[in-house]
Amino acid sequence: MDKNFVQSRIYTIVVSCGTAIATSTHVALKLKEILPERGFQIHTIQCRVSEVPDYADQADLVVTTAQVPYDLNIPVINGLPFLTGVGIKEVIEEIIVKLSAGEKNQ
Amino acid sequence: MEVIQSIFNFLTGLGSPVMLPIIIFVLGIILGQKVQKALVSSVTVGVGFIGLGLVIGLLFEALGPATARLVESTGIQLVSVDVGWGVAAAIAFGTSVGSLVFIVALSVNIVMLLLNWTKTLNVDMWNYWHYAFTGSLVYLVTGGSLALGLIAAAIHAAVSLLIGDWTAKDVQAFFKIPGVSIPQGWAVTSVPIIKGLDWIIEKIPGLRDINWDSETIEKKLGVFGKPIIMGIILGALFGIIAYGFYPGEMTFTQVLGKILMLAVQMAAIMLLIPRIIAIFMEGLTPLSEAARVFMQKRFADREFYIGLDSAILIGHPITIAAAIILIPITLLLAAILPGNTTLPAADLAATAFFIAMVPPLTKGNFFRSLLYGTIIMVMVLYIASSFAPLFTQIAADIGFGIPEGAVQITGLSGGNWIAWILTTISRVLFGG
Repeated sequence: MDKNFVQSRIYTIVVSCGTAIATSTHVALKLKEILPERGFQIHTIQCRVSEVPDYADQADLVVTTAQVPYDLNIPVINGLPFLTGVGIKEVIEEIIVKLSAGEKNQ
Repeated sequence: MEVIQSIFNFLTGLGSPVMLPIIIFVLGIILGQKVQKALVSSVTVGVGFIGLGLVIGLLFEALGPATARLVESTGIQLVSVDVGWGVAAAIAFGTSVGSLVFIVALSVNIVMLLLNWTKTLNVDMWNYWHYAFTGSLVYLVTGGSLALGLIAAAIHAAVSLLIGDWTAKDVQAFFKIPGVSIPQGWAVTSVPIIKGLDWIIEKIPGLRDINWDSETIEKKLGVFGKPIIMGIILGALFGIIAYGFYPGEMTFTQVLGKILMLAVQMAAIMLLIPRIIAIFMEGLTPLSEAARVFMQKRFADREFYIGLDSAILIGHPITIAAAIILIPITLLLAAILPGNTTLPAADLAATAFFIAMVPPLTKGNFFRSLLYGTIIMVMVLYIASSFAPLFTQIAADIGFGIPEGAVQITGLSGGNWIAWILTTISRVLFGG
């Protein structure tokens, strides 16, 4: 990909875990570190799993470290690789594909 | 040893907001972090500490007078306010034992991996606070023995790895996440209890076949799980009990004003504490990353489980539903259990943690999640009550402004039997 390629819009990613503090902070920091390097400007919202439905309609994507037992109209991605270190590359690619493909349902 | 001791005394004398960043900075550099990154993240931890001091101030300002009033007007002795796991963790990390817990627990982990005693590589550094907490209690009751405190922390860390291994297969199968285990310091202590209760239940015809549906509860009552709503309800409830029944000299409007103010203050506490703790967490994350990378490189040829926070289990629908029901159960227990002094507050937002291990170990049984959760909370309340004077002392020792008076602080999340047993033994054997 062209290094100067920068998406103009800012994507909103909901990052959820059991507490909105511990593991979600970890994942949110990693996303904010990695995605801008790939040309995606992002804004993250951290919340508890039970709050995901409240934030989902303002967001493009959910990345979660705990199960999200709700039907949402945006993609939900498993963020555990950011914690275990196994499969980070794959999950980043998955996020990029989903962000590029899904234009926000306005 | 004397040189180390005097360096150490100097560091602890600086106060936690300075000491912890220094230790985290040095550790980060050793683990291969860049200087700038290590500096920013270590100072971020210090900033979290300062923020925490402010929130604890708010907590006392809001709950102190109400608690005193509650005791005075009703005779209910709930004088130990539950400040929650975030504050408990920060306090535990802020002690002498806490500042060394990363080194101790990582060393224990490395040695146990090398000896093949465990398969778990515990990268969940945040939850090392449980080990620090145990160690800090032992440090206090032994009149300041750093060695005993660190040994206690090491024992808790080691037991956590073993129990993490023990439940790994069940957790992996139930949540369909391969390669992980849960060595979280509180969660592991619930495992023998759950296994024991399960053994009993399986022997009772009728009871062993019960399994309730959790879906409706989770959908209908989910709103009560939100921190702000929970804060408003708790604050108002608390205000009504403290001021409503025995208004004394106050007029109706004054009482109403007090109740409403307490509701908003409680909502503020429920929302602000996690936000502040997230800052703390943000500072700790790069260190935890560095440790993971460091360890994974050195144990690359081994099969191991990555030890993670029990927070990753909390999204299960049964856990969410049972956690909501456990809130009023915990409040009721606190009110009726004789001898309990703990006033459940901040950790009511984290009731899910207390039952996180039940669904994976009972094949997702909602009835048992509630039943075991209730039994577990009885233990938690009593242990938290017995820790309250120590907890308050530790917080004051590391420099948080705890007002003199009847009100103490404690944390439900500190209520684990490993800490209790080690503290009790140390007090008997080595207590001053």
